[in-house]
Amino acid sequence: MKVIKIDKKNWAEGLKRLADKFPLFGPVQKDEFHIFKELHKDELPDLSLQNTRLSPKSVVYPQSETLFEYTLDEKQADHHILKEIDKDYLPRAVVGIRPCDAKAFLLVKRNFDTPEYKDPYWIKAYQAVTLIGYACNTPCSNCFCTTAGCGPFHEEGLDVLLVDAADHYLAQIMSEKGEKFITAAGWDTSAGANDLREQVQTLKQAAETKITARVSTDKLKDKDTTALFEASFWEDVAFACINCGTCTYACPTCWCFDIQDETFGSSGIRIRNWDSCMYPLFTHHGSGHNPRDMKMQRVRQRFMHKLKYYVDKYANGIQCVGCGRCIRLCPVNIDIRKVCDLMNSFES
Amino acid sequence: MFAYIEKIKEISNRLLKESTVDLIIGFRKGTVPMMNEPCFAKTPEAVDGLVWDSNCGINLANYLANRKEKIGIVSKGCDSRNIVTHIIENKIKRDQVVIIGVPCKGMIDRHKIEAMFDTEIEAVTEADGRLNIKGDGVDTAIDKKDVLQQNCTICTHRNPVIYDELAADLVEEQTDVDKYEDIRRIEDMTPEEKWEYFEDLLSTCIRCYACRNACPLCYCPTCFVDESQPQWVGKSQNPTDIRTFHFLRAYHCAGRCTDCGACERACPMGIKVRILTKKLEKDCLELFDWESGLTLEKRPPLDTYRPDDPDDFIK
Amino acid sequence: MGIEPGRLHFSWISSAESVKFVDVVKETVEAVKALGPNNNFIKTTAKVA
Repeated sequence: MKVIKIDKKNWAEGLKRLADKFPLFGPVQKDEFHIFKELHKDELPDLSLQNTRLSPKSVVYPQSETLFEYTLDEKQADHHILKEIDKDYLPRAVVGIRPCDAKAFLLVKRNFDTPEYKDPYWIKAYQAVTLIGYACNTPCSNCFCTTAGCGPFHEEGLDVLLVDAADHYLAQIMSEKGEKFITAAGWDTSAGANDLREQVQTLKQAAETKITARVSTDKLKDKDTTALFEASFWEDVAFACINCGTCTYACPTCWCFDIQDETFGSSGIRIRNWDSCMYPLFTHHGSGHNPRDMKMQRVRQRFMHKLKYYVDKYANGIQCVGCGRCIRLCPVNIDIRKVCDLMNSFES
Repeated sequence: MFAYIEKIKEISNRLLKESTVDLIIGFRKGTVPMMNEPCFAKTPEAVDGLVWDSNCGINLANYLANRKEKIGIVSKGCDSRNIVTHIIENKIKRDQVVIIGVPCKGMIDRHKIEAMFDTEIEAVTEADGRLNIKGDGVDTAIDKKDVLQQNCTICTHRNPVIYDELAADLVEEQTDVDKYEDIRRIEDMTPEEKWEYFEDLLSTCIRCYACRNACPLCYCPTCFVDESQPQWVGKSQNPTDIRTFHFLRAYHCAGRCTDCGACERACPMGIKVRILTKKLEKDCLELFDWESGLTLEKRPPLDTYRPDDPDDFIK
Repeated sequence: MGIEPGRLHFSWISSAESVKFVDVVKETVEAVKALGPNNNFIKTTAKVA
């Protein structure tokens, strides 16, 4: 693994060179917070942020995505046939994604890219991106990534990890895609040296010690699922919840969607939209029956899925990277760290 | 604040002990700065965890609709007005609730405070109308009145309008506030400017429905946006659908909204959704001399008819 | 909310007031025609990602 040094003076110029070759996405300030968006020419990613308000999952997996179009006009030869829509899956780069958000793609991949089922839209979009991570020198106080299988300098899922080191960036190149990115930017890749790798390690340790928030997940796997499901603490946990979709929409690892047809006169489209297990409609059956009719059941589902079912199914830790967004954005202060600890320490 | 908390605990314990109520709805201390979590208390231990400070902006009336138990509820001015609205709209019975009134001097807007500092805020404590803010390299005090939620700065009903117990002496009401400066500015716009203004206002909406769900008025068993037969509104991020949701929701709150600010406070994207409901609140005041949630004796203007209702718009 | 004042008309017409009905309809149609089409609330597929 090579580490190179990019002088900040050469940063803008390199990105400009890249922007001529393929689209760049990055964080930019919008009102009082940061969002991920496609950068227009000469626009630089704003790396002064802690993190974007919402996760960058939408770069690969948009909140609303048109999949097919159709016509109901019987005079047309192809009426009532779903036709795929042309999409742009040309290479693009996401500059300034935090390591937690990049790792989250790997957790989501478990759903969209399995031996049995392959979601072509997600897979093609994911393959098209080069992820240029930006290590967290100053993590937020409610980040708990180090105990959620991730970390402020976590490398999994990234092609390049950028580390801010005063007047320069240290770029740790982790894949062929990453190598190509750096080369295309024209940054000198020959300067890789051992002492740079040590510098990264020092900064990494400094960042990790700053993270004080943590969760305990070690006993989740051994818990009896039914007992945990029926635990009495859920009523207390769920009380404040208003069943909005903020936590799930902000979450980099939430992947659920709903498919809708929308018809305009005689033509129409099939769209897929993010959905949320917090909504009663999420499980509303055609018969009118709803197996998760009560708020407590829906709140329980969210935490059980992330912290128990996923753990049991994949032997891969929890389905959470510890980015802390749901904690920061929850309008009523429901805190996944607290719930995780309740679950982990639960005795039936 | 400390005196408030002790009094709330004392009242709560008494109500529970005497079985006047089955549970108390209040706040417990949050896990992040400037946030508290709504909670219920049925035991003395749970009562012990109740708190009160300037981070109790969530409207607790939202937790009352359709409950069957006897409930003691901690209630600031706006909460009490929404309890009145609930009673008028048959969502709860008056004799089912014991209202623990909490005179209020406004709730703080955490996003406003966060935006004032470059660094993350790690702790906020308050005393005598001052907030002490601590963070990496920050240790400073600011006036609470400068960082109130916008609706609190123009609030003229800080004291509960209806209560059975009081946690503190009543506070002086604000008079002489200009409530509708922002609305007048929009009213003065041309139709095109208005359209653009709302397009921009709602451009970051992610349709999480936090505004709707935080609102005590939004208790419909099935919201019109969730109806599928017929489907009134599309489900995607289409701007027309997003706008339809916000406009229609606001109209559903006409003559009912107390401008408690729960919607705006809940929005994860910082959208000033109150602009929509506030215009209708202003119209109700000007056309019908009506402020919602002040009395159990009168029906709201939109569900009753009076011969002197304004009708200038009918040609 | 971005709809011109002249686009919305309210009138109180008794079933016996046929002449008033005709007048109001004519007036309304003319006023709306003068404003031209308002496409603001028309949904177009192009706006979905």
